[in-house]
Amino acid sequence: MTSRREAVTAEIPRLRRYARALVGDSSEADDLIQDTLERALARLEQWRDGDNPRKWLFSILHNLHVDGLRRKSRRPPHVGLDSLGADHSAPAADGASGSDLDRALQLLTADQREVVLLVGLEGLSYAETAEVLAIPMGTVMSRLARGRDRLRGLLAYGLEDEAEHAGLRRVK
Amino acid sequence: MTGGRRISEVELHAFVDGELAGKERAEVETALATAPEELRAVRAIADLNERLARHHAQVLDEPIPARMAALGAGPALRWRLSARPARAAGLAALVLVAAGAGYLARDLGRGNSAAQAAFVASALSAHQVFVPEVRHPVEVGAGDEKHLVQWLTRRLGTEVRAPELSAEGWKLVGGRLLPDRGQAAAQFMYEDAQGRRLTLYVRKEAGLTDAAFRFAERGDFGAFYWIDRSLAYALAGRLDRGELMRLATSIHAQLGGPGTG
Repeated sequence: MTSRREAVTAEIPRLRRYARALVGDSSEADDLIQDTLERALARLEQWRDGDNPRKWLFSILHNLHVDGLRRKSRRPPHVGLDSLGADHSAPAADGASGSDLDRALQLLTADQREVVLLVGLEGLSYAETAEVLAIPMGTVMSRLARGRDRLRGLLAYGLEDEAEHAGLRRVK
Repeated sequence: MTGGRRISEVELHAFVDGELAGKERAEVETALATAPEELRAVRAIADLNERLARHHAQVLDEPIPARMAALGAGPALRWRLSARPARAAGLAALVLVAAGAGYLARDLGRGNSAAQAAFVASALSAHQVFVPEVRHPVEVGAGDEKHLVQWLTRRLGTEVRAPELSAEGWKLVGGRLLPDRGQAAAQFMYEDAQGRRLTLYVRKEAGLTDAAFRFAERGDFGAFYWIDRSLAYALAGRLDRGELMRLATSIHAQLGGPGTG
């Protein structure tokens, strides 16, 4: 059990990175990780030997996150629609800063955000992502394409621009 | 598009995410060579991944909050946590565990690794973008190696060499100049008999100070990166980690030689 516990703790930095990108707020993300770790450590025996601990932990995190969203949806949202609209209409110019990226990520649907981050940030395969989220692989692929499209639109970011605006990026 | 088949949007994503293999991958690669719009889309997707990685990289190196560390220390230590030495022991154990998993203990609490992550992300993106190129994988081919090396040396402002990997079965395809946050970077590309490709990304080490060999991965691409004197190197490929490590070691030995570093 000790080695399993260690394998779980070794994943903390990765879990935190994912959770922070997912919820966009570091203390909320750490609360989510704390809950994930507690649940995981209480259920170590459910983790089958030889299985990837990361995948198992991501699915626990996903379930807790979905539960949290459900609870939240019963309360009024703390972000007004007006402010979302404002972000929408003012996409970042090239050289978009990290906070533009954070904002754009938070404008995706929660479903899209999960897939974009699990594949694009955490490097999970489509099959692993499907398993973590308990959805079919086709759904992973369509959410990924839609989510990335939306994100790119929000960032108004093209590669041709990158070369042209290399100077701007530097003075960011 | 002449003769090539159309590539679907889902395939473009799957291509970037390393989900295609063998014939499927080869087909998309071939089609991309004559589909500039799709190639732009591929680059845009790869770029998005790179930005996500770069933006969130520093989280990996933040110290782990004590309440999480306490959980990790396990029940045996947990009940003694009020005693300071035990708490320290718990944290130390956690740091060791983290080190074993590839997060080096000395990185905790240091800002340097964000720069390293950005460097390796650039190298991986450049790899993903240019490796599929059929017609123009490099700007200057290996036939013009002398000119290539002189040109890149001049642009990077320090001596750059293309390591010799033919003994390992890889031949130089050529190289190109790339922008990297306002600096010049160089990419050398190699190919083996099976058509697999490997890239060596080189940039002045500005801001990166740690010389250790590090490994990073994105999907099924991996990269070893290191600093040697004034240059930072990243060797990237869709190879298993051991094979990549052997090649990186060979390159390090050739370019640095004993007694430097």
